[in-house]
Amino acid sequence: MTARHRAVRFLLGTFLVYALLVATHLGEFWPFSIYPMFSQGANPWARAVVRELPPDADFAWRPHIAAELPGDPFPLLPNGIDPIDLANFVSKTKQWHGERVAGLRHMFYDQVDEKRLLVVRVDGRIDETDTVRVLFTPYALIGPDTTALNPALPR
Amino acid sequence: MKSLFRNLFDFERPETSGERLFFKLFEAFVVGGSLYLAWSWAMYIQRISDVVLPLGIAQYIDISFLFGTYPPLINAALMTVLLLLGFFRKGERYAYMAGFLLLHFQYAARYSLGEIPHSSNVLGMTLLLLALAMIAFTEPRLRRRFTLGTTYFFVGLGYTLAGISKLIGTGFHWSDGRHLWMWINEKAIDSYAKTGILAFNFVQEMALANTFIATALLTFGLVTELLAVLMWWKKFRYPVIWAVLVLHVGIFLSMNIIFKLSMIELTLLGFPWAVWLDAALRRSDDASALQKLDAFSLRYA
Repeated sequence: MTARHRAVRFLLGTFLVYALLVATHLGEFWPFSIYPMFSQGANPWARAVVRELPPDADFAWRPHIAAELPGDPFPLLPNGIDPIDLANFVSKTKQWHGERVAGLRHMFYDQVDEKRLLVVRVDGRIDETDTVRVLFTPYALIGPDTTALNPALPR
Repeated sequence: MKSLFRNLFDFERPETSGERLFFKLFEAFVVGGSLYLAWSWAMYIQRISDVVLPLGIAQYIDISFLFGTYPPLINAALMTVLLLLGFFRKGERYAYMAGFLLLHFQYAARYSLGEIPHSSNVLGMTLLLLALAMIAFTEPRLRRRFTLGTTYFFVGLGYTLAGISKLIGTGFHWSDGRHLWMWINEKAIDSYAKTGILAFNFVQEMALANTFIATALLTFGLVTELLAVLMWWKKFRYPVIWAVLVLHVGIFLSMNIIFKLSMIELTLLGFPWAVWLDAALRRSDDASALQKLDAFSLRYA
């Protein structure tokens, strides 16, 4: 077998494995991918931000606009947390059972002893007037001893 | 097809010292980048205690055995040993493939919280192709040509698949500038979450103020992705890779997303480094650092 034949055989074999794995795993099997990011225009999106609340601060679990958010921003990068992980954790969790709440709390394991952190889901959509609307809904309050959830979340 | 494979592999053409030296530097980047991923993911896995979305092998086995303080660090240490063995050509035939498989486990553990990132795909694919080259061939020159040829093939294919995904997911009106407004706001929230500062840069302000500019940016991106497969052919290779690099700069300016490792790899693949190294080798004297590096690349070819 010539070098070219051998190379073509390995190339096509890899291509076949690539095609089979992405076809049977919703387009993703690292490092194989059909790269579907940003493939759906105008779809609503969901992200997450965190606010640090003073000890005595009060807030409502209802949706807010940015200017109404309680407390101060809690930047995730200097605290070693990937905001996209947090956003996916918040938006993809369907049932907020004990393990899931513990998982959320564990993300902030080196912060929770001394801070009150409000995890806020952020929803964006484009309305009929072509304006991007962004709403902030508090999801969880992580304090030194307890984690309180938005009462509307399914348990 | 013969022409395509000749463009990708070019096995008949003799190899220069510059090509051999360039490949060793490229291989150092692939090994170094993979180890950077292995160790940075190991550190991040410390924060994870629950699987929200299983990816890759985690759909078949419980990946939580890699959670905790020591398992991801031990995995990263094993990868370090395996990839260095491959780099210094000790048991390289299977060392790189074993390292690649362990990196897949590390990826599945790191990205079990729901995020499906693509920043490490190009490098991961290249490590796999390097591992396959070691298995497929014993002659160093053929290993080098195979690795680079298949890397051009799968990198070009990946970008074109991204373009096709957009056409399937949305259609030709994917490049409607209002879609970019949505993504600019989405990524601005990510930046706000990271830094606590909510602000738009001048490119984002321009795109948000003018639908035509936003549409033009998306159109350039879509066309570039669809044409990326042209990098399979030598005469289009460099201009296509430069266009993809410009696309990445545009993604960074408009959406604050930077694929550092992919951009470094594209920079290595998109310029005639081997020709420049040949010229530099001809000008350098025998005792120079470049000649020593060349001797190193020959020793560990």
